[in-house]
Amino acid sequence: MTAAPVTSGGLTALQAAAAAAGLTVLSSASWPEEEDSEVTPLAGFIDSNFSPLVAEVAGRALRNRAGGPVQPQATAGLTAIVLVTALGDITSATRVAAVVDAGTRVPPLQFFQCVPNAVAGYLAARWHLAGPVACVSGTSAGLDVAALLIDDGDADDVLVVRADLAVNAGQRDSGAAILVTRLKPSAEGGS
Amino acid sequence: MTDAPAVIAASAPATGLAARRGPGLAVVTGVAAVSAYGPGTGALLSGVLSGQPAFAPVQRFDVTQRRVRVAAAMPGLPDLLSEVTGAVRDACDDAGLSPSQRARTPLFLAIHGDPAMARAGRPDQPAHGPEAFTAAVAGSIGLAEQHIRCYMSACVSASSAIADAAALIARGQAERVVVAGGYLVEPDQFALFDAGRVLADDGQVRPFSAGRRGILLGDGVGAVVIESRQVARMRRAPVLIRLAGWGRSGDAYHPCLPHPEGLGLARAVVAALHRAGLAAGSLGYINAHGSGTSHSDPAETNALRLSLGDAAAEIPVSSTKSLHGQALEASGILELIVTLLAIRKGMLPVNAGFLGADEGCRLSLVLGEALATTAQFAMSLNSAFGGANTALVIGLP
Repeated sequence: MTAAPVTSGGLTALQAAAAAAGLTVLSSASWPEEEDSEVTPLAGFIDSNFSPLVAEVAGRALRNRAGGPVQPQATAGLTAIVLVTALGDITSATRVAAVVDAGTRVPPLQFFQCVPNAVAGYLAARWHLAGPVACVSGTSAGLDVAALLIDDGDADDVLVVRADLAVNAGQRDSGAAILVTRLKPSAEGGS
Repeated sequence: MTDAPAVIAASAPATGLAARRGPGLAVVTGVAAVSAYGPGTGALLSGVLSGQPAFAPVQRFDVTQRRVRVAAAMPGLPDLLSEVTGAVRDACDDAGLSPSQRARTPLFLAIHGDPAMARAGRPDQPAHGPEAFTAAVAGSIGLAEQHIRCYMSACVSASSAIADAAALIARGQAERVVVAGGYLVEPDQFALFDAGRVLADDGQVRPFSAGRRGILLGDGVGAVVIESRQVARMRRAPVLIRLAGWGRSGDAYHPCLPHPEGLGLARAVVAALHRAGLAAGSLGYINAHGSGTSHSDPAETNALRLSLGDAAAEIPVSSTKSLHGQALEASGILELIVTLLAIRKGMLPVNAGFLGADEGCRLSLVLGEALATTAQFAMSLNSAFGGANTALVIGLP
């Protein structure tokens, strides 16, 4: 496979934006990694890689957390979800537009998956992430929102997920995720 | 009265209350709106206070294949970019912002996306992305080119943007932000909601009522200029309303259903009251999320009982979605503007479409006709897919 991810360096960009926002990265993940070929399907989400991609890369980041994976049902703090995407689920949106233009009926499952919040809700329920849920375009905006949610006290840490579907034949879908927090000065060794 | 902080203690153990807001005060100095009642805040206010829902058969596009064929839509074929740009311009004019002040002010825009994106050829779709749309709006008005944000968080998009703008200002990280949102009823979302069988097949939205049948979509475009009170005072700008408190939370329950006990929404309400420094009984009106669906309305009722205690039975409540419809990503700004206009006028809009009491939705609903009020504070609630919730508390200046 020679195709390049649609968002080249997505994880690097997330990490750089986290550093710019003064946030500490607790864990990270990306898709595709070397062994990845197809995104694992996600039950209840059809005909598009967008939601499965978000779920896969977010799950990797949560399992990769230093000091042990995030445990579903953990209640130690509030974890927010900030989903970052340039075009959202463009595959589903394009498919729905074609069905509407053809004058035929839309598959009912498309109803909720066309909204990026739906897969964020799946993640929240699966991993018991009870902080706020937001979806914005732009990596810098996403990390700014994450930092604000922490500083403003509505979240203790934030799972930031970037997901973009390929729009050209020479591209691959791509995703990256980081779990970020803001360490208090004492926790940073007085730095 | 139930002690509101007990809810926080029960469900948000790790978050310190002392850090829940910055020291600054955020105020609204400019406002503009477009709805099915017509252009302008005057049409919106008189429309909702008339108590007459704006729902009518859809003429804007073909709905013959749809199960439900009703929405609250303006006549003709309005263009989203033009309407949003016009509302942002009107709000900036209302606030009296000079060109140099506009050039330092970022835009936070809540939209589902450029309506043209799904029908553009694949290579052209990025040019129709939400960021490009937002930049086009900002560029036409002369707003800042930096720090543009586009919120696509379903029905809490605009309310989240408002909360974030208020938080940035309160924390001294911004002096002014323009927040806007826009949704115009169009065939794709209409088809999706119809396929999901959530549209009310009796042609009315009946929040908290027995016999409620679901939601109906509605046009909604709104813009507000939010700035620090200090900055507004320095430029002698009249303050329309204070953004006293805000809260955001998640349910961690389901991709598209609310937590049946309203736990997440209750946390957002309590957080908003804490930031406002208010007891529940200080609220004189709640513009509820009140979608009119079987699941959402009892969950919201439970959230209000949990977060407000005995005061939940006393505070007048209506869902103005029963009048202007569900404006999706723009709901939060349209409903905040309705709430702002209502308490400034001293008249609360009705909860239209009510057929009879539902034991699971016992609230002090505004029924029959608009209710005169001396309320100083009001709250606007929104919930969305993903279990996302927001609460915004506003106060008269």
